[in-house]
Amino acid sequence: MRAMPRPAQRAGVTPLRLASALGTDAFLGSIVLALFVLVALFAPLLAPYDPHQFVGQPLERPGPDHRLGANDAGQDILSELIYGTRISLPVGLGAAVGTMALGMLVGSVAGYAGGWLDDLLMRIVDVMMTLPRLPLLILLAAYLGSGLIQTMVIISLLFWPATARVIRAQVQSLRQRGYVKMARNFGGSPGYVLARHILPQIGPLIAFGLVTAAGRAVAMEAGLAFLGLGDPTAKSWGLMMRFALDLPGLLLTDRWLWWLLPPGLCITLLILALTFVGMGLERHLQPRLKRR
Amino acid sequence: MKCRFVAYLATLWTVLTLNFFLPRLLPGDPLAALLDPESSEYVFDAEVRAALEAYYGLDRPLLQQYAAYLKGAVTGDLGRSIRLNEPVSELIGSHLPWTLLLTGTALGLASLIGILGGAEAAWKCGSLADRLLTAASVVASNIPVYFVGMMLLILLGAELQWLPLAGGRTPFARYDSPLAAAADIGKHLILPAFTLTFALLGSKFLLVRNNMVGVLGEDFMLVARAKGLPPLRLKWGHALRNALLPFVAHLAAHAGMAITGAVFIETLFNYPGMGRLIFEAVGARDYPVIQGVFLIVATVVLSANLLADWLNARLDPRLEERVG
Repeated sequence: MRAMPRPAQRAGVTPLRLASALGTDAFLGSIVLALFVLVALFAPLLAPYDPHQFVGQPLERPGPDHRLGANDAGQDILSELIYGTRISLPVGLGAAVGTMALGMLVGSVAGYAGGWLDDLLMRIVDVMMTLPRLPLLILLAAYLGSGLIQTMVIISLLFWPATARVIRAQVQSLRQRGYVKMARNFGGSPGYVLARHILPQIGPLIAFGLVTAAGRAVAMEAGLAFLGLGDPTAKSWGLMMRFALDLPGLLLTDRWLWWLLPPGLCITLLILALTFVGMGLERHLQPRLKRR
Repeated sequence: MKCRFVAYLATLWTVLTLNFFLPRLLPGDPLAALLDPESSEYVFDAEVRAALEAYYGLDRPLLQQYAAYLKGAVTGDLGRSIRLNEPVSELIGSHLPWTLLLTGTALGLASLIGILGGAEAAWKCGSLADRLLTAASVVASNIPVYFVGMMLLILLGAELQWLPLAGGRTPFARYDSPLAAAADIGKHLILPAFTLTFALLGSKFLLVRNNMVGVLGEDFMLVARAKGLPPLRLKWGHALRNALLPFVAHLAAHAGMAITGAVFIETLFNYPGMGRLIFEAVGARDYPVIQGVFLIVATVVLSANLLADWLNARLDPRLEERVG
């Protein structure tokens, strides 16, 4: 088999063409997303303190030294918030890639092979999609441990079936196209035909899937940390909320305003940015939607 | 249909078997916390340890344990909780009503609002109201549920103090009448149920709206319109009825959540439902509880899907032809 060409190149989707197809929502989403990425890249320059150092008084109120005050251990909340991007973004990206890779593998094999293999794989997908994910997520998190890598693996393991189903449907329909039949009749192996003729066609679909999966992964990572099942050493936004809520009587004072609210807003903003980018990509996929 | 039923039984058996073997394959056996010398709950007396293993049947061969597990699954004997030392079936019995109250209320409300709103939006497809509602639904269904809950908790619970902060009812309360009890439970239900409704509403609205838009473009709608049927009849009698078909399967997909509860919401509001039971059981590695809950969940979820398939075939005869 020849060396596989990179699907993205083949797709004919250049960043420029994508950008012109984006609407206002996706444009706004991209800007917010880019801001988060910049904050993550330049976190050491932007953050006033090291988020692990005890630089303030415990539970210090916001002031000129600590814009968002300090947490119960005396760590600067603004710095924690800025460094939080370095957890949410990589985990979101990693889990999204994992989800898509698994989903594409199963989906394209099932769609291309058909027959009993298709039946078996889709049966597994059906079962996995009906079982409630959240308890499974908690269970896996407890079994597998609580590192960031584990978090990514767990999210990928639970959310690939939806992707597999979409990819399978696309592969199935592409498989019937004349040029794909031709390639097969000329003796192209399944791997070759999939990589050369089918995957490039679903490039935009993959891009959309990645963005959606990333948004879900960000929510899930924060959720796991929020439940106390995340990496206890990684200062993520979810963990910040957990620590804030663990303080007895937090809601009876106005501390939630600078301790609980900012990480929650950051998570929500990041997820919404990803959602908006996804909406733009979806419109790009389905020009029919534009009419309405 | 018969073929489907057999397939469901096979699936159920697979899930039950996985439910038995997975915890035994993964690190830490059911009594790990009690038997692990590193753990804080380690039982030092070797005799007690052996007795514990014998009590939970862990000293028997795996196949014998498996047989006992299947027998228990059929007879409803789900073992005892290691953490609380109570029968698992009783634990589920005391937590499930709370969860059903919460998820039932939220599912009902979200479905009702979603169906009515979705149908209205689709009917006026393209209007400003439709576009605003659709955008709002996408946004709402993507905001993490724990954030929504937190905001409501802070605003209505802590700041305005209109509603209780946590729990399913007032602790140690003694009620004079069933009515007072219902009022108290209802007051505690509002915040969690509203949060869950908010989280569920978006997807339901979008499902109904998009289906209805599709149905409105169908030929039979054109015929119905040409017949001169009144708009109300067109909207509710013809369009919505057909647009609701996928809703049945959608509801079945929520059967699992209806049983396991909303873990985030129950944790946040300290609601005494199944979500908390699962969460605490996982935290304490209380394997009999985890296994028991998943057994119930798997059974209910698969039954709900079978029921939805059957119902869909009844509601839409076209499906039977296609599936064969």
